[in-house]
Amino acid sequence: MRMKYVLSEVLVGLWRNVTMTIAMIITMAVSLFMLGASGLLYQKVGDMKDLYYENVEVSIFLDQEVTPEQRDALDAKLKSDPLVKEAFYVNKDEAYKRFQEMFQDAPDLLSAVKADSLPESFRLKLNNPEQYKNIYDQYKDAEGVDEIVDQSRLLDKVFGVLTGIQNFALAIAVVMAVAALLLVANTIQVAAYSKRREVAVMKLVGASNWFIQAPFVLEAVVAGLIGSIFGLVALAALKFAAGGGSLAALEGLITPISWGDIALMFPLMAGVGGVVSAVTAWVTLRFYLRV
Amino acid sequence: MTKTYPKASRPSLDNVSVSIEKGEFVFFIGPSGSGKSTIIKLLLHEVTPNKGRVIVNSKDVTSMRSWKRPHFRRSIGCVFQDFRLLPNRTAYENVAFALEVIGKTKAVARRVVPEVLELVGLGGKEHRYPHELSGGEQQRVAVARAFVNRPLILLADEPTGNLDPDTSIEIMRLLDRINRTGTTVVMVTHDSNIVNQMRRRVIEIESGRIVRDQARGVYG
Repeated sequence: MRMKYVLSEVLVGLWRNVTMTIAMIITMAVSLFMLGASGLLYQKVGDMKDLYYENVEVSIFLDQEVTPEQRDALDAKLKSDPLVKEAFYVNKDEAYKRFQEMFQDAPDLLSAVKADSLPESFRLKLNNPEQYKNIYDQYKDAEGVDEIVDQSRLLDKVFGVLTGIQNFALAIAVVMAVAALLLVANTIQVAAYSKRREVAVMKLVGASNWFIQAPFVLEAVVAGLIGSIFGLVALAALKFAAGGGSLAALEGLITPISWGDIALMFPLMAGVGGVVSAVTAWVTLRFYLRV
Repeated sequence: MTKTYPKASRPSLDNVSVSIEKGEFVFFIGPSGSGKSTIIKLLLHEVTPNKGRVIVNSKDVTSMRSWKRPHFRRSIGCVFQDFRLLPNRTAYENVAFALEVIGKTKAVARRVVPEVLELVGLGGKEHRYPHELSGGEQQRVAVARAFVNRPLILLADEPTGNLDPDTSIEIMRLLDRINRTGTTVVMVTHDSNIVNQMRRRVIEIESGRIVRDQARGVYG
């Protein structure tokens, strides 16, 4: 009977104040959507870092008039360098072949570049991609070296942008969470006021504190959970829209977001939504009902 | 014991010492602001004394933790001048509510509530709402609610304050009958008529001090 009583009180409470309930659910949903989006980005940036840094290369381009002796010396030095995991030599023909593959959609560019105009190079994989600076310092003045290019510099910029977007989403999530929190506090006060007679009687006859508080706290938690479901739906809608739309162009760059990734965000969103609501409601009641 | 409210210039109860035996029927009388309602609040653990101790049912509740209060309250029934019934519930539901919120099942309520409503003389009116009942009848519902859990003590804060003299007498008969079941009754009032008629122990308070404590007393 007690569970049934509490649950029916929750439904009555949500319905009695239905405009407030809707406002609470919407703010909660937007906040949790932003939280979920931020979580997804965080996860993706992590995945992408693993993926890209794994394949990232440092290229040492050689002078056009490099001598075979200089090249062999460099080769030997690179192969014995403890920082270098792998080093392989790319001659002019191979460089041109790679170039052709990379720009096969741009025939103008291809025809403008002659086969022997591309420099020879060494492609290195480092044991630790962060140690690029050491490699750069060590080889920039070596005989026959023209230029050293590190792909991870470029990646850092891309990741910088993604992290920026993630922080922005997180900031919006926090701001909306504050709004949601205030709405929860207000809703609970209104609910407690409309039930002040029942609460007074309950206190008088010795109903336990949890029993007095439970309907209010659960009311907030249910609103929070409904909000998180809407937030999840919004995330799914975003993926759906992005899948066919403008973001498809980024498909190759950003590792695809699967339905599983989105589903994985739900526990986070529901957990945060539920706990924030419950704590807010409980604290409000402590002040408002003195129970 | 002494109780001073914050911001009050003088104590509400000043060095008051009272002992009430189990099964007694006691009136606290005195003018408004004399401190008699503070007695009820102390007994309910709604406030705590600044000095001295409050012992209820042989338990020292002076420094009782507030989370223990709900359970403690279950051994005390309470009736007020303004009845404090839930307007959207029938007489039966009002009494049953008090049982259900302390964890009694509906089955228990179905057995006990009609019994206690019969006891207070409301047999046949179980399904009336408070606004369909007279003041005296509403107070009977309140008494039924206070008594349904068979408390050891019944506190009544001006229970006849809103009732006409005849109805007041009926409520007093009811409280007397409850007292005869062994329940201690502590009643705060300034209804001289009733006090004079009942001839029970009278404790008079004035400006926070006991000025008279008389067995079988009158309002004076």
